[in-house]
Amino acid sequence: MNAENLIQEALSNNRQALSEFGSKQLLAACGLPVTREQLAGSREEAARFAEAIGFPVAAKACSPELMHKSEANLIELGLTDTTRVMAAFDRLAEKAGSDIEGILIQEMIAGRRELVLGLIRDPQFGPCVMLGLGGIFTEVFQDTVFRMAPVDRVEAMDMIGELRSRAMLDTFRGQAAADTDALCQAIIAVGQIGMNFEAVSEIDINPLIITPTGDITAVDALVVLNGGVL
Amino acid sequence: MIDDIRKSPLYTIVNPKSIAFFGASNNFGAMGSTCFASMKNLGFEGAVYPVHPKETEVQGYPAYASVLDLPETPDLAVLVMPTRLVCKTLEQCGRKGIRHAIVVSGGFREVGGDGVALEKELIQVTERYGIRFLGPNCIGVANPHHKLNTTFLHYEGSAGHIGIASQSGSFVTQMFNYLARFQQGYSTAFSIGNGANIDLVDCLEYLGACPNTKVIALYVEGIHRGRDFVETARRVALKKPIVALYVGGSETGRKAGFSHTGSMAGPDRLYDGIFRQCGIIRATSVTELYDYCRVLGALPESGGRRTIIQTHSGGPGAAAADALGREGLELAEISKKTSEKLKELMPHTGSIGNPVDITFSKNPLDFFSAIPKILLQEENADMLLVYFLISVEMATRPLKAMGMDETEALAQAEKLMKDLGESFARLQRECGKPVVGFSFRDLSEPVFQALMAEGIPVFSDPKRAARALSALSRYPRLREKIRAAETAN
Repeated sequence: MNAENLIQEALSNNRQALSEFGSKQLLAACGLPVTREQLAGSREEAARFAEAIGFPVAAKACSPELMHKSEANLIELGLTDTTRVMAAFDRLAEKAGSDIEGILIQEMIAGRRELVLGLIRDPQFGPCVMLGLGGIFTEVFQDTVFRMAPVDRVEAMDMIGELRSRAMLDTFRGQAAADTDALCQAIIAVGQIGMNFEAVSEIDINPLIITPTGDITAVDALVVLNGGVL
Repeated sequence: MIDDIRKSPLYTIVNPKSIAFFGASNNFGAMGSTCFASMKNLGFEGAVYPVHPKETEVQGYPAYASVLDLPETPDLAVLVMPTRLVCKTLEQCGRKGIRHAIVVSGGFREVGGDGVALEKELIQVTERYGIRFLGPNCIGVANPHHKLNTTFLHYEGSAGHIGIASQSGSFVTQMFNYLARFQQGYSTAFSIGNGANIDLVDCLEYLGACPNTKVIALYVEGIHRGRDFVETARRVALKKPIVALYVGGSETGRKAGFSHTGSMAGPDRLYDGIFRQCGIIRATSVTELYDYCRVLGALPESGGRRTIIQTHSGGPGAAAADALGREGLELAEISKKTSEKLKELMPHTGSIGNPVDITFSKNPLDFFSAIPKILLQEENADMLLVYFLISVEMATRPLKAMGMDETEALAQAEKLMKDLGESFARLQRECGKPVVGFSFRDLSEPVFQALMAEGIPVFSDPKRAARALSALSRYPRLREKIRAAETAN
């Protein structure tokens, strides 16, 4: 589904946000690298998807209503075989209740370097892109930089250079330097979503993981739509 | 984006040939009277028509009962009068054919309640007649190059090269004295007030095109028309440096965030990023706003971060070196060629590293001419930071010892100080590299005043000097970033 259709469908269903799965479909449609994942409706489907993706996998309850899954204990990580995947499916499905799109079976991305990439709408400046140190320390270190969208390549590079954790993006503890070209493209793409889709009021990609080989992948994402109050 | 200030409505507002003035009388308890007096004091050369219902003469000028009675249509109306009379007065100005105004009067949107409706009425009246105006609720303007000052304090100092657009009138009128003490002055200063018609973006655009303005100061409490602001600032920053002090303020309108990104959209970080995107140098205090303007307006462009420290005392030199490092600057490496040349002038106690610590130079005058001349020729250096310890008293002593009488010695010493400052400044102009000084002495002393008048800023603290140099070296990089983006697109 293309980005426009994803947003229109969510709006016509009075959704105030896209689920993680929907959010990443939107991001992928706009050129961002996202995790390989599929939405399972049954434990058998979950097992099949997991085998197709390759172990280990993550299982996550997926719903536009669920904004902070890890806090709600609706995630299982590092599932190494079909038995564990099916057990995880059962637990998550039961805990999350009926109000979910399904259980998301997702590839596990290696890498401990985590960024956050997002979009906000400021009443005066309109869509603005944020890049920062991601993961669980996002709020602790508040290492974030903003630019008004659209962001060009020069500004995207400047944003990266402004991070206090900049050194983490170079060759770091035996891991390859981050693919800054890909990161620039991701920053630019997020800005473009803000410019092109008035209905998208916020995007939060956290974490955006830098793998040991330097690739970047959006591992969790949330797209909030107009008037989204959850 | 304009390239000619005459295309801006602000041109007439700060370069009027004639002014109708409302709210001035012979009673100096009234603000309008003090504003009128400031205008007179600076020697405004155009025609001035005070309009007053009762007075026949205001501070020596014939007064008129109504604007409609004036012998010509003035370029500008200045209103410093009770709120309730403003709309009616502007209506009459409009009928008279006046198309530009400064509304100093307050009591509009800023007070809420009826004020909001009153401001709407003000906008309607002015739109009906096509009147462009600053305010309401502003302090007015100063354009010393046109001998114009409509604010309530007298203008002090020279017609300078710092342009300011301020969302607080205080940083227009209350800084006249502050700048004068550094031998600086405004080129043109705008108090924006409520910005009901002409706003921050318009003022920025004007100052960008204003030939008297070499550096632009912005005092910002909140930016409206954000996207226009960014576009304008990026164009202006290609031509001249912009320094902004942002003190927050308008966060109330911001929606509470729903996600991590939203909750961290602290407007301060947002403004940080947007200023950088605009090529604007952000100041963190009022002092810094003016420190940055002083260096960026007065000094030649910095080619890089490599700095030489010239000192005759170890501690201040080391403190300066520490401050430079903290502000992201580098100590330049003194080449062999330079140290050879310096050797002849240095006593054996001196140290030719960086800082260049001269201790007691063989000839005290070398500190102001021969030594900096060599240092400014150093190819490895982009900037020079000098610690000054000199006073009239120090120069008087040897003169008196030679038998000169007290008065004569003092006069000679003062002249010497002035000459030293001037010769140092001449060196800077010849080599084209930025020189900044610092001293813990009273900066009102003649040598510092001479240095500052000649365009070498002197600060009271090495940290302030280092931060100012850092700002100076940032500007070309910010500008090149915008240029690079333009070339790429």
